[in-house]
Amino acid sequence: MRAAIEGIGVVGGFGCGVEKLRRALICGKCTPKMIPVTTRNQTAELPVYLCDTSSLESFINKRALRRVDHYSKLAVLGSFLALEDAGVLQDDHLNLAIVVATGYGASLTTFSFLDTAFDDGDACASPTLFSNSVHNAAAAHISILLKARGPNLTVSQFEMSVPSALLAACRLLEDKVVDAVLFGGVDEYCGVLGYCWQRFFGPDSAVSMKPLEWNNQSAIAGEGSAFFFLTRDEGNKPKYGFVTDIQIGHIEKHESQSQLGGFLFLGADGQKSSGIHYARCIQQGTHAAVYTPLYGSFPVGFAIDMAIAAVSVREGTIYATPRHAGKNSGLKIIWNEQHLDSKRIYCLKFSCKGEYGMISITAK
Amino acid sequence: MALNEKLKIIIIEELNLEDMTPADIDDDAPLFGNGLGLDSLDAVELVVQVQKYFGVEIKDMDEGRVAFQSINSLSNFIEERRSA
Amino acid sequence: MSPIPPVPVTGIGCLCAAGANLNECMDSLFAGKRKPLPPTRFSSDHQVAYPVFEITRAFPADSSNQRSDILFTAELALVAAKEAIENAGWNREVLKNRQVGVCIGTTVGSAMNNEEFYRSYRSGGNPNMDAITRFLNSNPAQVIAAEFGLTGPCQTVVNACSSGTDAIGLGASWIRSGICDVVLAGGADELCRVTYNGFISLMISDTSPCKPFDANRKGLNLGEGSAVLVLESSDLCRSRKQSARASVLSFGSGCDAYHLTAPAPDGRGLKQAIAAAMTACDKTVEHVAFVNAHGTGTPDNDRVESLVLNELLPQIPYLSTKGYTGHTLGAAGAIEAAFTVACLEAGEIPASAGFETPDPKLLTTPVKHQTAVNGSIAITQSLAFGGNNAVVIFGKGDI
Repeated sequence: MRAAIEGIGVVGGFGCGVEKLRRALICGKCTPKMIPVTTRNQTAELPVYLCDTSSLESFINKRALRRVDHYSKLAVLGSFLALEDAGVLQDDHLNLAIVVATGYGASLTTFSFLDTAFDDGDACASPTLFSNSVHNAAAAHISILLKARGPNLTVSQFEMSVPSALLAACRLLEDKVVDAVLFGGVDEYCGVLGYCWQRFFGPDSAVSMKPLEWNNQSAIAGEGSAFFFLTRDEGNKPKYGFVTDIQIGHIEKHESQSQLGGFLFLGADGQKSSGIHYARCIQQGTHAAVYTPLYGSFPVGFAIDMAIAAVSVREGTIYATPRHAGKNSGLKIIWNEQHLDSKRIYCLKFSCKGEYGMISITAK
Repeated sequence: MALNEKLKIIIIEELNLEDMTPADIDDDAPLFGNGLGLDSLDAVELVVQVQKYFGVEIKDMDEGRVAFQSINSLSNFIEERRSA
Repeated sequence: MSPIPPVPVTGIGCLCAAGANLNECMDSLFAGKRKPLPPTRFSSDHQVAYPVFEITRAFPADSSNQRSDILFTAELALVAAKEAIENAGWNREVLKNRQVGVCIGTTVGSAMNNEEFYRSYRSGGNPNMDAITRFLNSNPAQVIAAEFGLTGPCQTVVNACSSGTDAIGLGASWIRSGICDVVLAGGADELCRVTYNGFISLMISDTSPCKPFDANRKGLNLGEGSAVLVLESSDLCRSRKQSARASVLSFGSGCDAYHLTAPAPDGRGLKQAIAAAMTACDKTVEHVAFVNAHGTGTPDNDRVESLVLNELLPQIPYLSTKGYTGHTLGAAGAIEAAFTVACLEAGEIPASAGFETPDPKLLTTPVKHQTAVNGSIAITQSLAFGGNNAVVIFGKGDI
């Protein structure tokens, strides 16, 4: 299972593009916005890592974006940034495959569609909103804007969406169905999600994420996208290294990880329900970092970890874990920037249901 | 407000033609194809908007094709249905 | 060019308005039975009721299949998976110890669109959070994996109307690559007001029973259901002396890159998908027994499919089975794959339900009557919102 990473496009609470991601990694912080959320006639302020997609207009004119909603804009922007980063944006994309992972899909548009039916009756339900509410709308918009006619796939598996979709992307390359795949993950925030957050986790939400404190609920909602221009390994040195392994499994059948010959990037995102699995399954003394406080908690956040791993491999640098990610005495957490000797990084994510996904990124 | 003016505003707002003003839309210009560049998804969206704003039903796209030729044909269609 | 290795299909489960299991479904199809009716589980304020192909709650007949903690879509997926596993002769306990993948297509099954919850939320109420919890517990592939204790790759495909076909193609690729040696691949979807209202708003729903490829077709009828195929490696089949019902010879996929809802008028994505699938299995038109078309009954879809079939597969008998099941969205590709295997086994295809009058604008017509078919392979194809086209080619019998 192998793919070369030639370009990355990321959109998160930290901004757009690899350079903004690097700055957030160097500074070790990202400040969420405060959004009012009303529950039981009480309005509280919920911190959320929101994204700004206005820079999409530097790629595509407004008229062409008139029916593209926020969810699809996050994906389109991530895609264009990845292609630009790979130096292939102006190329012919006729045979490009597109594989998208999403946890919740176009949730805001789904509710907006319901609004049109509830406000004015079923006969006034909006067909434009309905067409955009399907999970694969983002992949469709990307293909139309790029004129990309290769295989087009969208996968939804909550926290396991990213490794699951990446498996499909790598298969397309290995089976030589296509020579290049635009692979990425996208999830958006919406008011209903914020409301659910408050109802499930209580009105006093965390103001800073401490994902290393496994038994605490400190997740902060986020949204974003991370896209990768992947090609088959044909002996050339790619810009960011390689995806060299993808594992998806369940802790029930998980063999205890032997000491990994590399660094572990933990997808722990302050959710108590998945925190317990990290606590149980990772060997004491493992070298690890966690970056989720830079972008928040959302199902495809794993793709942003993958982007950070690829950037780290390219630069030969492991960035410091954000300072307030929590105290954890069991693991060797990277608190200071250091050289990446082993050139191998494992990105690991557990879901609340005990599934795990691991993606390894290496320089060779 | 004149019906034509209202229709232009509805089209601009509901179809998200942000860069346009009512003055940019000629009463007789074709709305679809090379005119405003609207397509089949805009057509069904307009059907819903006509229902919502005027309570007038367009039964199928044969009716729609006639009604949507231009702002004038649409306002005539609506006036006829409303007075019926 | 040598063909890619075929992947045996050892078991099938299927349920929809046509029947509670695959045999019942096929009996209905060959008896020409179809009865779309206005929905009973929900109402709408449209002036007319649009007929749908609903599964009555009598399916599944076994009450132990009914669960209140998951969406109906996930329940349907479980029922089809259970039938498929039994049909393949697998013992559930033995299956648990293998690396078994699950790949399921859906649309509604992955959508958080509970109206009761949202109405209450919108009006400042205090909705019960059960609807959200149920949604979070209802990812169809995860539900199947959890129920049967399966720990291989798990994927829910959300490619709109081609999801079921895509899932089978993906599942077969997992077997070929050696990631796992058994895969449960299929699709599931339930009827709901959102899709009902959505397709009506697009003006592609028919107020009468749908008429795929007919001159007087006005649109689709929605349906619901699920189907699961058990795919296995040839080595495993041989070692447990299990004969295959058919095999997945190949999969092809292509995107129109044209429009969010309308297919490309030249059918370019579908042509690409069919060509890719035929090349991969190294077969030609002469081998094709029949095509199970997407055939929704909308003017656009049927026009494009007919054009492509005439060009690439002239004279090959084809039908749409959506006249018996309605358009089951994420389940459609899987249900139609199940029917395709059953028809290859029978050497016959039923009449294309709803087709009476040829459309002078279409160059080909589907079969009007039950038809004997020859040929060692059959094609099932799906065209999706967003322009994705997916094709699976099945080979007859045991390899």
